Amino acid sequence: MINGVTYSDTLLKLSGVNKSLGGEPILRNVDWEIKDLHRPGFTQGQVVGLLGPSGVGKTTLFRLLAGLDQPDSGTILVEKEGIPVQRGTVGVVAQDYPLFAHRTVLGNLQVAGRQGGLGGTELRDRAQSLLTRFGMTDHGAKYPAQLSGGQRQRVAIAQQFMCGEHFLLMDEPFSGLDMLASQRVSSFIQEMAQSDELKTFILVTHDIAAALQVADSVVLLGRDRDAAGNAIPGARIQASYNLVERDLCWRDGITTTPEFLKLLQEIREIFPRL
Amino acid sequence: MADTLKTDPPPKALVAGADGSAALSVGDRGARKHGNIWDAFLPNRILSPATMQVIVWTEVALALLLWIRSPFKVLPRPIEVLHALQGLWLTQGLGPELMTSVRLNLEALAWSSVISLGLAYLTVVPVFRPLVAAVSKGRFLSIVGFTFVFTLIFGGGHPLKTSLLVFAITVFYVTSMAAVIAAIPKGEFDHARTLRMSEWRTVWEVVILGTADRAFEVLRQNAAMGWMMLTMVEGIVRSEGGVGSMLLGESKHFLLPEVFAIQVVILVVGLLQDFLIGLARRLACPYADLALERK
Repeated sequence: MINGVTYSDTLLKLSGVNKSLGGEPILRNVDWEIKDLHRPGFTQGQVVGLLGPSGVGKTTLFRLLAGLDQPDSGTILVEKEGIPVQRGTVGVVAQDYPLFAHRTVLGNLQVAGRQGGLGGTELRDRAQSLLTRFGMTDHGAKYPAQLSGGQRQRVAIAQQFMCGEHFLLMDEPFSGLDMLASQRVSSFIQEMAQSDELKTFILVTHDIAAALQVADSVVLLGRDRDAAGNAIPGARIQASYNLVERDLCWRDGITTTPEFLKLLQEIREIFPRL
Repeated sequence: MADTLKTDPPPKALVAGADGSAALSVGDRGARKHGNIWDAFLPNRILSPATMQVIVWTEVALALLLWIRSPFKVLPRPIEVLHALQGLWLTQGLGPELMTSVRLNLEALAWSSVISLGLAYLTVVPVFRPLVAAVSKGRFLSIVGFTFVFTLIFGGGHPLKTSLLVFAITVFYVTSMAAVIAAIPKGEFDHARTLRMSEWRTVWEVVILGTADRAFEVLRQNAAMGWMMLTMVEGIVRSEGGVGSMLLGESKHFLLPEVFAIQVVILVVGLLQDFLIGLARRLACPYADLALERK
């Protein structure tokens, strides 16, 4: 095992998940498992990329993983104890980084903290500590409308951290960002994952390069094809790539290595057929 | 070898707020005020307060000039209106009549706010939606037709006037507020749910607190409508008097300077009411206009 990395308990397990919308199958027999990663000598969470082309069913799967919708059949279990996913079991950062517009940044964190069971001094301290950690100390009294996109994203993540979930689902975190902004988001996610052993980030995206750059494993969601090459309705996990085993994560300059570029090309070629 | 993607920080203008500054100060056209008067004739221009003042006073002067030079000789001139106002105030009790109307308006506004907001918030519960829809349809009914029924229910005089006005305001208020609530994006509810909020807590956070700024705006518009309808209600039920009753009396005797004077008073009180509700909104919801181009 590269870098002595080992995997232990199952953190997320989807078994035979099916979901139809308006009578049309969107997800079909989705099986997927994320195991707890241990990296000796490091505090290491993990970043998993869920990749798929637009319209394949990523958002549907995102909503199921978030507990916002229920599958027609199959199970989604989280944590080592195998708890069925419900609203609030998993932290969620939607594409537009939703925040309560009527609350300040600090107010947004505090209301989430209260929902997570915090109160009094503990609530204030945790909110302040997250503001500091996320470089938002000077912005606590601002309203969401006064923040930039990047700042909103950080506050949205911090708000989910206040609730204390071990999973954080992010929907298209690189959408609409230029290369530099995307790089900032990647660095930030990596930094967050490396600061907490218990955090698992699941990035739902169609941005292959950005996902490979930040993730330590990626899975591809797509539809099967019949003999004539037509897509069969209902997507499932088509492929899985462990970037740790390929030694394609956690080191500088990874994106320029031939191995990275080869994998990027490989997935780009698969993508149109998903 | 250095990671080629880890480049120097981007220039300030590329990432709004990245340097700790307010995001809105970067690329926010609303913050760039123009002082050139010709900009007043171009779309989407934000003028400096000084330029705006010039425009407002010029337009007021033009309106006055138009009034003074009006070809309709029967219309009273500003000085006649001023004299009529003086007479109404000093000898005909315009002040107490105005107070009667203002009190009635505030009472009706308070009742209709409670009823309308309550009904609108209840639309989160499906069983109440038909009721709210039915109340909303009351917009197409005339309050004159309810005079007898409301007299039977509430009695005559002040209670009748209040109930008629509450009805007239509520049917519009509840329609606007229910529309505000229906327009809340699904994502806002989902956001609250992902923070483990119960459905009732979600209603409090997203529906009640989340629309507070818009509720003030709806109140403002409906208060204006209520003030306008008040004179009509006071015309239907003349007990207690009020500016509406006074206006009808003067109008009946074709005392146009007095009619204009009362209209001016109604306008000024209406503007004051509008200003005060706007002020309350700005104080209670300072976040409301932050993202607007024209603040």
